Amino acid sequence: MKRQLSDEDAAFRQRMREFFTTQVPEDIRTRWAAGAEEGMDDLIRRSQQLLNANGLAVPGWPKEWGGQDWSTLQRQIWHEEMQAASVPPPLAFNANMVGPVIAAFGSEEQKQRFLPATANLDIWWCQGFSEPDAGSDLASLRTTAVREGDEYVVNGQKTWTTLGQYADWIFALVRTDPKAPKKQMGISFLLIDMLTPGITVRPIQLIDGGHEVNEVFFENVRVPADQLVGEENKGWDYAKFLLGNERVGVAPVGSIKRKLADAKTYAASIATPTGTLLDDPLLAARIAELETEVMALDLTVLRVAANSKDGKPDPASSILKLRGSQLQQDVLELIVDIAGPMGLQWAAGDELPGWATHSTPTYLNFRKASIYGGSNEVQRQIISGGILGLKG
Amino acid sequence: MDFTIDDEQRALRDAVRDMASRFAPPEERDKVPTGPRAHDAKAWTALAEMGLLGLPFAEDAGGMDATAVEVVLAAAELGKARVQTAYGEALVAASLLAAAGDQKALLEKVIDGSALVLPAFAEPMRAWAPHDPSVTASGGSLSGVKAPVPIAEVDAVLVTACEGDQTGVYLVDSPQVSDGALKLDGTAATKLNVSADDLDAALNLGIVALAGEALGAMDAALAMTVDYLKTRKQFGVPLMTFQTLTQRAADMYVSVELARSTVLYGAMTLAERPSDNATASRVKVLTGRTGRHVGQEAIQLHGGIGMTAEYAVGHYTTRLTAIEHTFGDTRYHLGQLARDVSDHAEVDVFA
Repeated sequence: MKRQLSDEDAAFRQRMREFFTTQVPEDIRTRWAAGAEEGMDDLIRRSQQLLNANGLAVPGWPKEWGGQDWSTLQRQIWHEEMQAASVPPPLAFNANMVGPVIAAFGSEEQKQRFLPATANLDIWWCQGFSEPDAGSDLASLRTTAVREGDEYVVNGQKTWTTLGQYADWIFALVRTDPKAPKKQMGISFLLIDMLTPGITVRPIQLIDGGHEVNEVFFENVRVPADQLVGEENKGWDYAKFLLGNERVGVAPVGSIKRKLADAKTYAASIATPTGTLLDDPLLAARIAELETEVMALDLTVLRVAANSKDGKPDPASSILKLRGSQLQQDVLELIVDIAGPMGLQWAAGDELPGWATHSTPTYLNFRKASIYGGSNEVQRQIISGGILGLKG
Repeated sequence: MDFTIDDEQRALRDAVRDMASRFAPPEERDKVPTGPRAHDAKAWTALAEMGLLGLPFAEDAGGMDATAVEVVLAAAELGKARVQTAYGEALVAASLLAAAGDQKALLEKVIDGSALVLPAFAEPMRAWAPHDPSVTASGGSLSGVKAPVPIAEVDAVLVTACEGDQTGVYLVDSPQVSDGALKLDGTAATKLNVSADDLDAALNLGIVALAGEALGAMDAALAMTVDYLKTRKQFGVPLMTFQTLTQRAADMYVSVELARSTVLYGAMTLAERPSDNATASRVKVLTGRTGRHVGQEAIQLHGGIGMTAEYAVGHYTTRLTAIEHTFGDTRYHLGQLARDVSDHAEVDVFA
């Protein structure tokens, strides 16, 4: 048992910190920290291309496709330092989802065609999994793909397609065998160009007023058969791999810690009749408790990162997802409460700082965190079934 | 950061596990002790013979030259087996005797188990405030009341007392403890040559030892609960058929895993910086909260059987409640952390 980082890891941490705080342009980081929606795609693209040029965009991938020979702990440090410096992280759909799937199950031709462009965000991917009647019960999806010669003909509807308005391609789960004995067994994993005729993207406005997710409709969309990943009807396996193979970045600890530190600065800037809000015992106790809980999460991330089993769905990820989303939401809730009456206004001005006027929409927006990527109820089910052996 | 235990630590853990299994309390109707622990002299001797009382102390004082990490691993096994002793308290006393420098003979007896010396810091009708006792000292004699004293059969106690505006730690030989209280009325005492930092370091060691015991108790309570959900049938099906129960068991598991990381980290940190009060307080707050969550849910998920004395699960909850209120409760430690919240931008676990 050892508390400190090894000399090697400490040097690694320093190298990451230096890169993220000195080599990533200040305007990218301040605008990202402020949570600007306007021009967000541009920030993500610039950031990922810069990271990729320096070998920092897809460290978890196989080495021949741009990955790094890092330990899981080092990847964890990379991720935390990136978040601590408010650097827009590589687009998850590319770096954490479709990239690893293509690298693991794609054909050589697909790897050549897609992986370099995916790492460099020359292709912006979106995820076509959820459907109106297939949310937590993802395997109930109904979008069909019927083979006709060298093509699949796709019909159906996807929803909650995050940042789909910027996407060049979509990776979609489609039903290729409606007669399969189990609903999980008739699903395939298709790569589809968003410019293919028959695709319509329609925005969904969310409670924070923002446009982040979309509905995507497929009407007789003809997809070349060489865009099928792996084997037909094995898509569910690839989707499980995609959702469960990653422990790094599952809990956004770096970002939570940064927000909590920001919250203290905000609280210290708010006057009360006797001092500042940071001197208020109730608020200070709440911050102290959150710091303790975040520390426990931070440590748990480091502890389980060291035991990572690559490539297998890993129920320990569920602990991180569950607690990470809860604490992320708790900290945003704290910031709304610090903003107090200023949070009633959603547009910044000379008198009202942006952090305060963004606080309510941001808080509302991040209620999503305990729903997406497997809701917290699903995570509890994975823990109770997969770890504790409680099978209903 | 590395949380894995080495071969020597594994051997220690296995030996303590084996020893603890021999002293676990009975689970038979009318034979199960309830309420605060009673002193078990045989178990205490076994602890001493295994060297557990000397784990974090120097070899030349009769100790094992190990650290708080080993203390936590040992305490967790005691907690799991429900061997309820004054282990954490004895380590606080031994730590102060070691710091005093001139108490070598007594320290050796504490470590070899021939003398039971415990701290008596708590005072009736006073919130926990280790540096601000109401007992007073004057010219080597003490006045006031300490209660509750952890165990009545002590050979000596260490008492905190104020002389003017100075808080000191005093050794009282052969104290007369009655109904859990030690009444001091001009009682002769020896002042230990220890600083406020030494007192903090001693309490922090006690905190982390108790946190280790709590971790073992929570592990066991969770395991019993999971097992019960698998085997107990109602409505013709096992309880694990009901998601309202399994989802709550999952939350217990998450709580325990976060506590495990925190307790082990706390031990590693305090081994390096014994008077790092903030880390000790975070360990205390987190295990306090987790102990309540896991202890309460363990009883609730069992239902009525969890309320009975002959079934172990509720005893874990009893012990977790006692641990939370020893060496400062969650309110006290959260207050300490809240007071210092503007001292740092964030908590850096590598600092």
